[in-house]
Amino acid sequence: MTQWFTIARVLPERLGLNGSSASAEIVAMTLRQMGHEVAIVDIHGPQDAPGTVDIVTVGSGSTSQISPAATELIGLVRLFQSWKQSGAYWIALGLGWDLLGEALITAGGDAVPGAGVFPSRADHRTGRFAGEVHGLDYRGRESAGYINQVGTTEILEGQSLVTLQSPPEGLPVAEGVRGENLFATRLGGPALALNPHWALDIASDVLLSRGLEPEIGEFHQRVDTAAAEARSRIIRRLRSRR
Amino acid sequence: MGKVPSFVIAKLLRFLTRLRGGGSAFPGLVLMKLRPQVLRETLGSLRLGTVFVSGSNGKSTTTTMIAALLRAHGIAVFSNPAGGNLPQGLASAVVGDAGLGGRVSADIAVVEVDEAYAGMIADALTPDWVVLTNIQVDQLNRFGEPENVYRMLRDLAARATTGVLVNAGDPNLVALGAEIAARGSRVEFVDLSPDALASARHGVVAAPLHSEAPESLQGSPAAVLSTTSGARAAIQVEGEDIALDLPAPGLHYAVDATLAVGCVSLVSGRNLDPQIVAHSMGQSVPVFGRGETISFKGADIALTMMKNLPSLQANLDAMTESPELVWVAVDEGTPDPSWIYDVELGVVDHVDVLTGTKAWQWALFLDYRGIPYGRVIEDTSEALLEVRRMAAEKDVAVTAIVNYEQMMLIRRLAGYKELEGVR
Repeated sequence: MTQWFTIARVLPERLGLNGSSASAEIVAMTLRQMGHEVAIVDIHGPQDAPGTVDIVTVGSGSTSQISPAATELIGLVRLFQSWKQSGAYWIALGLGWDLLGEALITAGGDAVPGAGVFPSRADHRTGRFAGEVHGLDYRGRESAGYINQVGTTEILEGQSLVTLQSPPEGLPVAEGVRGENLFATRLGGPALALNPHWALDIASDVLLSRGLEPEIGEFHQRVDTAAAEARSRIIRRLRSRR
Repeated sequence: MGKVPSFVIAKLLRFLTRLRGGGSAFPGLVLMKLRPQVLRETLGSLRLGTVFVSGSNGKSTTTTMIAALLRAHGIAVFSNPAGGNLPQGLASAVVGDAGLGGRVSADIAVVEVDEAYAGMIADALTPDWVVLTNIQVDQLNRFGEPENVYRMLRDLAARATTGVLVNAGDPNLVALGAEIAARGSRVEFVDLSPDALASARHGVVAAPLHSEAPESLQGSPAAVLSTTSGARAAIQVEGEDIALDLPAPGLHYAVDATLAVGCVSLVSGRNLDPQIVAHSMGQSVPVFGRGETISFKGADIALTMMKNLPSLQANLDAMTESPELVWVAVDEGTPDPSWIYDVELGVVDHVDVLTGTKAWQWALFLDYRGIPYGRVIEDTSEALLEVRRMAAEKDVAVTAIVNYEQMMLIRRLAGYKELEGVR
């Protein structure tokens, strides 16, 4: 039976760098291909808030967006609390994750309060890593992507998303976080596209919250095959460099 | 080492590398080792000085246009070939142009410089003018974030001894210009009319750094892009309206042309000949691989560059009809193609063949966009034969969306032997 879902995409202009606002489209497509209707609503302030929200996505951004985005997020905190209480699923990437955590220390040492959605703290005072990575996720599935992120993120609660295999020096083995209705990663833009098993897990959780089962169809199998091919090229490249 | 022996060695190396087919920046690298001051020695005292052209996109095209306009006005120009924008590439161009005594016969040097190497090149050769095209989201794997590009270009601009010319259609360059003007630099600018900006669906696609910058630049623009449509543009300069042809359709080419016209007006002391400008621009052709159409066994292949999001978006915005046969070829030269998820494909409603080591990432993107695609053929030479067969069967041209490395490979496979950045 067709169900209606709403995805709130938070500050996509500020926090949508390098394909990172695509999480909303990817989850929407995953649900639509199961026969459901999905609306994506861009949130710039409380006035944009739809009546109900099932999934919230926030992407990444560059350093100059920290201050304006943090300021705009302050105006959204009460909205976030109501969405969290109503059981919305949160997907955050890169800087968006940092700003939705407990706190962020900028490269210059300034402390920026976070929105408090994710149990994590970010520190941008250490170096940047940019490159492909791969590893096994929380269910032992091969996962891969591209990280271009400054600093480190301390996870205070929840399970790591991926255990990276042979990460470069300075990059923690544990990447990302997964908790109840929470998904966050420093993997870049199309992390959910390259790892459609995560998009399926998220869709399944959202459906199960309404007592529905996910219906895997031809589209889901096709993207799974294409993603496996894309990931295998990443893994091949990484192994050839070792 | 002495000047003459150094140039003899460098020229011999150049001859030998060209005998092997194509060429390389190696002779320039060797020359810089032998004569670390060679750029200052050869180009540092030209009559009209040195112009550096930098920015995220449009460097090669703008450099080529400035050089062509100056030459058309009877000024002898030294320039580096498109893409030869690293120190060794510039030195290799000197090897090609200078005599054995190391003298370059030119009135002015107009050189394209890579953003990351701009400071190093400015250490070796002080620019009189710096022309900045734009600051866009580009090569994040290399630059980290566009803020770093802003800093690099600001530091370069501050080293110009005469002045800086910026594209005021990019808010980041308005902010940059205002910042260095406050420190005493002379800042000139070209402007884009609202009509011109509206000609491309996504405008100038500036990086989101200073989109709300309140600064404006003082003075009158060196040139104004009044209108542009397709491969035509009208530019106001020195009180004249000049209608001209562009090398290819698109706002980005019109902006490059406006910067070139503005730059030549400034360098020539506001002494442009409108007829010469229109004629010279009318003769311009796309720079190596940018909007170029090559031929392979009877099939026309139009090369559309996907260097980064702004360049691909600008090229897609300039397409007016759905291409019938689309080939996408992307490889390791684009280490992180995440940005394709930010592209609006516009009139591209299908892709026939996907090629290169990032082909499957493109396939995934198309799946999530709901755009049908045909075969994934990762090997470029095999794919070239296939698209040529399909083009012959359908009697249509191929629209190839390619990254730089695949563009170079496809050109070579199609029999185009010259290499960019080498002469």
